[in-house]
Amino acid sequence: MPETVRSLSRTPFVLIGIGVALFLFGSYWGLFISPPERFMGEVQRIMYVHVPTAWNWMLAVLFAFFCAIAFLFRGDLKWDARMDAGLEVGSLLAFLLCVQGSIWAKPTWGVWWDWDPRLTSVAVLLFAFLGIIALRRFVDDPTKRAIWSSVATVIASVDLPIVYFSVKWWNSLHQQQSTPETVSSVFYIPLRVNAFAIFFLMIGFIMLRSRIAALRLTNEVAPPPLMAEQAGEMA
Amino acid sequence: MTGVVTGGWEFVWAAYGITAVALFVYGVTLVTRLREEVSRGLRERQRQ
Amino acid sequence: MLIAALRKELLLQWRSRAQLLAVFVFGAAALLLFSFAIGPNTEALRQFSAGFLWLGLLLSSTLTLSESFHAEMENRALEGLLLLPASPRAMYYGKAIANWLQLAILGAFLIPVMVVLYDAGTTRIFSLLGVIALGTAGLSAPGTLYAAMTAQLRAKQTLLPLLLFPLIVPALLASVKATSLAILGDPMEQWKAWIVLLLVFDAIYWSLCGLLYARVVEE
Repeated sequence: MPETVRSLSRTPFVLIGIGVALFLFGSYWGLFISPPERFMGEVQRIMYVHVPTAWNWMLAVLFAFFCAIAFLFRGDLKWDARMDAGLEVGSLLAFLLCVQGSIWAKPTWGVWWDWDPRLTSVAVLLFAFLGIIALRRFVDDPTKRAIWSSVATVIASVDLPIVYFSVKWWNSLHQQQSTPETVSSVFYIPLRVNAFAIFFLMIGFIMLRSRIAALRLTNEVAPPPLMAEQAGEMA
Repeated sequence: MTGVVTGGWEFVWAAYGITAVALFVYGVTLVTRLREEVSRGLRERQRQ
Repeated sequence: MLIAALRKELLLQWRSRAQLLAVFVFGAAALLLFSFAIGPNTEALRQFSAGFLWLGLLLSSTLTLSESFHAEMENRALEGLLLLPASPRAMYYGKAIANWLQLAILGAFLIPVMVVLYDAGTTRIFSLLGVIALGTAGLSAPGTLYAAMTAQLRAKQTLLPLLLFPLIVPALLASVKATSLAILGDPMEQWKAWIVLLLVFDAIYWSLCGLLYARVVEE
């Protein structure tokens, strides 16, 4: 039974639909219904999209890390396809975090980039993941590509806490910054709704992306037609 | 009171706008890549 | 077994000692170029000398590391070595220790260049050498692993730094800070925190990369 676009599972599209609806609802709440915050004013509203992105980015990194571990232990290429998805969606979220973070930093601290340990660790891991994605493009053998990129993913994920603490120590001498409150009940609803919105979007994206990676793998592993014909003649 | 940030709606709109656009564009590339990969698989099966 | 692997690596490096000299000249040239980015401001140069030293060392290290699998690639000897009873782990540690020595020597030789160019003299020469030893250990453990991966690829010159640079951010940061404290003085005794960070980084990556190396070279 050949696979067509219609025969694929609908689940990711349903999840993305739910995510879009929730995102519209949560952002509407965050932008128009929530009152401006006491100190941060309107700029606080950036947090309703920034913090949910950060939570989900962590989940995406954890997902890629566990897929890498699972591949190294099991050797099943389906984990490689999932890790591929986790790497790409994780990079997308990390990129968004860097953009939102600098948009937040400019009106708050007057600079686009203020070497906040969290944001700096995100940027470092973004480059690490982009490096792994680049590595994958240059390895033709699917097994080698899977092993090498899962090894690199494990190494890069282990680095995340070390980067965080080193930047924190490095930065602690030159300034202390307060975190705006995001837990007060007025700010609770848009934050939670957007967290689930981006979560559903992320799951949908990861499912679609690993589907693509799996299809690509089967297309790669399938013998080229010419060789198959030759093999048939010889038989 | 000092230290209160006033205004800044343009930053808020920029943050939400870039996020929404990036997520949308990524979703579109996923669908096109999926179609490409499916049709490539079909083509290769037909050739066999 | 580790001793045998290490002896082989050191012998190989001794034979290609012209390369070490070339990498040193590269590093020294980089240090010279960095000072042009600041201008002839002695105070500023002294302030940034530690950062420049480590950036020069980092750039040179990619040359050393990417060359470290040259001999194996040339004769397709990596597969051959896998047939020997020597374990991949011993091979990895032999290679990593040899790279570490080479980078540490390189760093030690770059110190006088830094002192002369940036007026960054210090009496704490032993703590400086200690930081160089710990920092280059942090470069060589993941660097050797990534070099093994990228040595077989077309784009190795691009991919090795691309993979390595984000990873060694903590080691680089701690080394620069500790070196800077050794040069500019350390009234608040902060060096211990950075040395601990370097030790933790080294311990994690020397063990993790040794564990993972066997998977990287398996056929």
